[in-house]
Amino acid sequence: MDTLSIYLMGFISIVLINNLVFTKFLGICPYLGVSGRIDMAFGMGMAVTFVVTLSGTLTWLIDHLVLMELGLEVTRYVCFILVIAGAVQLVEMYVRKFFPFLYESFGIFLPLITTNCAILGLCLFINLWGIDDFLEAVVLSFGAGIGFTMAICIMAGIRENLYMADVPESLKGAPITLITAGLLTLAFMGFAGMIK
Amino acid sequence: MLGICGMVLADISGLWQSAWPAGTTMLGLGGLFAVVLLIASEKLKVEVDPKIKQIHEALPNIDCGACGFAGCSSYAKAVAEKPGLIGKCAPGGPETAEKIGVILNLQISNSGAAKRPIVHCHAHTDDRTYYARYAGIESCTAANALANVQACKFGCLGFGDCTRACKFDALHVIEGLATVDYEKCTGCGACSTTCPRNLIEMAPFSQENMMTVACHSRETGKSTRSVCKVGCIACGLCAKQTDMFAVSDNLARLDYARYEPTEQARTAMSKCPTKVIIYVGKTAEAEAAKESA
Repeated sequence: MDTLSIYLMGFISIVLINNLVFTKFLGICPYLGVSGRIDMAFGMGMAVTFVVTLSGTLTWLIDHLVLMELGLEVTRYVCFILVIAGAVQLVEMYVRKFFPFLYESFGIFLPLITTNCAILGLCLFINLWGIDDFLEAVVLSFGAGIGFTMAICIMAGIRENLYMADVPESLKGAPITLITAGLLTLAFMGFAGMIK
Repeated sequence: MLGICGMVLADISGLWQSAWPAGTTMLGLGGLFAVVLLIASEKLKVEVDPKIKQIHEALPNIDCGACGFAGCSSYAKAVAEKPGLIGKCAPGGPETAEKIGVILNLQISNSGAAKRPIVHCHAHTDDRTYYARYAGIESCTAANALANVQACKFGCLGFGDCTRACKFDALHVIEGLATVDYEKCTGCGACSTTCPRNLIEMAPFSQENMMTVACHSRETGKSTRSVCKVGCIACGLCAKQTDMFAVSDNLARLDYARYEPTEQARTAMSKCPTKVIIYVGKTAEAEAAKESA
């Protein structure tokens, strides 16, 4: 396969087949918590995409340029958390200064993303899958964000429609949300094994 | 003793030997991020106008929404940018407007008296005529959708939508009529926007007690009289006494902006055949008693 198709495959794979939310069950807290309205869900998805691309890239660089050189792979967890937290802080300040309007709409989500496990998960997965190509790491990070956005937006769309559904009394609220999440995951299991 | 000490020391130095690269790297990275963030926080500092905070403190902080903003903090932000919005805080009234004016270094032209609601109906349950018994949802908005709930198409329905809208417990339905408690009222205007029959007007209270034509019926005098004992029949006697009153659309109205407790106004009040001109305000009852004495 030539380089471009590797990137494309990687992107499709992380969005549909190895979607962090549907197959790895990462980032479930915002996935269930902020999926009440579709515009909020989209804002959260965009913020996550932004941060995950940045931190995926940064952690790959630090992993390869610092930790692997010094043989300190064991400190990855601590180090990655540090990088993510720092990057989020930086992004928050930057957005607040230069895009006040954007800050109003998704700035409130940024501090929450610091503790989003999908992001730390992605950084560790890139390393686990043995991605040695910088550009591939960037593409995978971006794809992970897009996958998350897609998942949370589908969920929000379903939940908006669920308001009008006649849900049995005992299943109202969290139970029907969890059932929905389970069915969605099952549907996405259909993609499993399409690549590799 | 010395041997134990030596062993402990050897252990510590052994630990140090294997751990120092990790520790130093983490320290280095942490330090690097700290410096980057420190520089960023200086470079990307967003100047928050200290005036906004001061204005926020000057506001009543009850988040009633009368100004049309989500709460006191968003109003403070808006008013700092656009000083034209200054008089919007109804509960704070002129005092708050003045305080904000001092903060923003503005000269406030006297924006007039504080506004308070006046219910333009004076009919209690006994004064009204009903065509049928209403057994639907206990809400004015719902009842208002039906044609013949109450003979008067303009008067107070008495299901208390305004009471529920009031955050300050200043409005109660007494004997089927919404009645304002002016001691508690802050003038936020929530009742005025809620009333489905637009009975409640926010009027500038230039006096402690205001006079008002407590009727909203625009039916002809005959029709009004047939459905209500205390409605305005638009006879025009009040308008003959003073030009503060004027009759239009079969209804006498008082120009609140020009109201003064003059002799003519009192005469107009006493001449009213249906006694629909009344006092409203904090001590309206005492005022009325003084009048009749």
